[in-house]
Amino acid sequence: MQLNNAQVVIRPRNPWEAADLGIHFARQHAGLLLGSMAILLSAWLGLLSIVLYDYPGIAGLIFWWCKPLYDRLPLLIVSRALFNAKPTLKQSLRELPQQLKAQWFASLTWRRFSPSRSFDLPVTQLEGLNGLPRKQRLQVLSLRNSQPASALTLVGFHLEAVLLIGLFGLLFMLLPPEVYANWDWRFGDWLDDESEAHWLDHLSNWVYALVLVVWEPIYVACGFTLYLNRRTELEAWDTELSFRRLTERLQRAAPLALMVFALLLPLSYSPSSQAAALCLPPSLNSTPKAERLLSQTLTSPAAQTSIQSILADKPFSNKRIEHELKWGEDQPKPKSKEERGTPWWLKYLIESWKHTSGIAYVAEVVLWLLVLTLLGWLLWHYRRWLGEFVGRLQNIQRPQRQRPSTLFGLELDSQSLPADIAGSALALWNSDPRQALSLLYRGLLVHLLDQHQVPIKSSHTENEVLGLLDQQQLPALYRYSQHVTQHWINLAYGHRLPADRVIQQLCQAWRTLEARQAGASSATPREAHA
Amino acid sequence: MTLPAVLDTRYPLETPEGIDLLLQPAGPIPRALAYLIDLCIRGLVMLAFSIVLIFFGRLGMGLWSILFFLLSWWYPVLFEVLWQGRTPGKHYLGLRVVHADGTPIGWSASLIRNLLRTVDMLPLVYCAGFISMLSNARFQRLGDLAANTLVTYQERALINTTHISVAPQQPPVALDLEEQLAILDYAERHQQLSEERRQELAELLCNSLQIPRAQAQTQLLGMASYLRGPQ
Repeated sequence: MQLNNAQVVIRPRNPWEAADLGIHFARQHAGLLLGSMAILLSAWLGLLSIVLYDYPGIAGLIFWWCKPLYDRLPLLIVSRALFNAKPTLKQSLRELPQQLKAQWFASLTWRRFSPSRSFDLPVTQLEGLNGLPRKQRLQVLSLRNSQPASALTLVGFHLEAVLLIGLFGLLFMLLPPEVYANWDWRFGDWLDDESEAHWLDHLSNWVYALVLVVWEPIYVACGFTLYLNRRTELEAWDTELSFRRLTERLQRAAPLALMVFALLLPLSYSPSSQAAALCLPPSLNSTPKAERLLSQTLTSPAAQTSIQSILADKPFSNKRIEHELKWGEDQPKPKSKEERGTPWWLKYLIESWKHTSGIAYVAEVVLWLLVLTLLGWLLWHYRRWLGEFVGRLQNIQRPQRQRPSTLFGLELDSQSLPADIAGSALALWNSDPRQALSLLYRGLLVHLLDQHQVPIKSSHTENEVLGLLDQQQLPALYRYSQHVTQHWINLAYGHRLPADRVIQQLCQAWRTLEARQAGASSATPREAHA
Repeated sequence: MTLPAVLDTRYPLETPEGIDLLLQPAGPIPRALAYLIDLCIRGLVMLAFSIVLIFFGRLGMGLWSILFFLLSWWYPVLFEVLWQGRTPGKHYLGLRVVHADGTPIGWSASLIRNLLRTVDMLPLVYCAGFISMLSNARFQRLGDLAANTLVTYQERALINTTHISVAPQQPPVALDLEEQLAILDYAERHQQLSEERRQELAELLCNSLQIPRAQAQTQLLGMASYLRGPQ
């Protein structure tokens, strides 16, 4: 037994975990285990079925009873495979009869119902112990380990039942209901060997064989790993392995250390050591380009290549190939790398940055955009307010000055005046001088109101009107107004008639005013024409 | 250093920091036993309630149905989520449910893995679940595969009461971590080994560590005492 060759990690385990290891192990060698078991069991059950064709129940019982003997085939394979000596299918079947011979009678009789069957089998088959030594050995081994072995058998028993019931359930599920509509479900009929339903019993035997092909190797492997675990615990197999590795390492290291020492001995007198003593910078002779350390097993080029290969490998470089499906038409035209990578606007920005003061330009644009956005937002936000107030502003009419219709009892309607005020006044002068002067004065007031927009109210007195006119900066008009007003006041309130000469002067002045007014108003279009 | 063997029950989980966490997925045998225990507990609770509820006629039957529903579907979910991935049966056998990346199980994963018991039960009595567990390298049943969970062994605290009553002695060569652990391990299991085996193991190191055969055991124990340091 070479522990170094063990194909599982040897360490003391919790017994449940040891059984799990058996399942892993059986899965690893599933092909060989299941194949050999299938050959063995089908051959044996085939023989039983032919011999006891009329008694399928008895055939099934014998088949079930002989289970401990079948266990020896998987154990043979598993125990060899553990130490890297996995037999072929042919070898294992050829060696089987020899393995079956040992203590077969005990296995089939008083040890048949031992709950720790799988755990005991390695002692019987691999250690070849019998009688008292076997008993003592088992006592030592199962001192604190009998519980998991029994649990394994218990679970195994149930698992066989589960798989059996499951397979039958599956078969039943696949039957159409018409088939079993007329079945008689009396259980007694099935146990009765005399009935016609032999096929069902044979079928159940074969289904059971199928279950055993799957489960029995796992069961045996679990028992074997439990046994292995117990021995690992008792004999400190893992410690032995570590000690052996330590010895190996030291033996490998010893000659190497000697060689290194021998190599270093002359070096200690070489100039480089003097350089070291002079505290020269280490860069002078560290990592030389030339190959060195050529006289030892690990030369510098070899070390370099191995370092490179390690760095190129898994944890240091993690290369992955990802495949994805692409349609042919969708492949973009081959572009240069730059063109493909950057969109046009980004390139434009980069170009403008390169030449002019692009950043400032961009900032300006951004700021203006910000201002416009803010403005837009303000307009939008105050849209109701604006709709309400701006609309009203448009509707507000200019406060139309109330044009007084009469002043001091005089009618101020322009329609009530004749077209030629001065002529009418002169004509009226001889018959009704009061009417004539009032005509002149009204003409002046209407003129002031219409032509010069003098803000005259009905509450104003004659002198106040003059005051207002004084602010208009029209000296000629003001002088005339002064005369007319003075004479009108004298006549209206004082009943003092002015001289005839005065009225003619006034009419003359009025005509002059009218003419100047007409000239000014006609001059504007003329100028416009020019 | 390469491991001499390939097959182990530990499932290494590499973290982004490059540290291997070792999870130990549990196989069908302890899990079946844990299920059996849970089944018994549920059965007993149902029995106790049945005895009370039988006196309430049709109301009792209704309540019984609700209780049955809660116990069958919520018993494992509530225990797993609120009690660190353990049901009483799992706790007894030292198991717990975790996500496949080793993190504690949450509501969605627990609900998925427990609702999919119906699939694992197909065609009858957990047949599909057993086959899935036996064929999966991490012993996941179909519900575990769907929820991406594992049933692992709980880590148990290491209790070491062995006392080494030998004077400390420095090892003659520099030992790496694994070798130091092996020597400590030898000292800790010294009492459990037979006398012949103790001597046999100690003599393995006689040549390489240059210790006389007669004193091999004592000197190894001394080194272990040195490695462990004052207690």
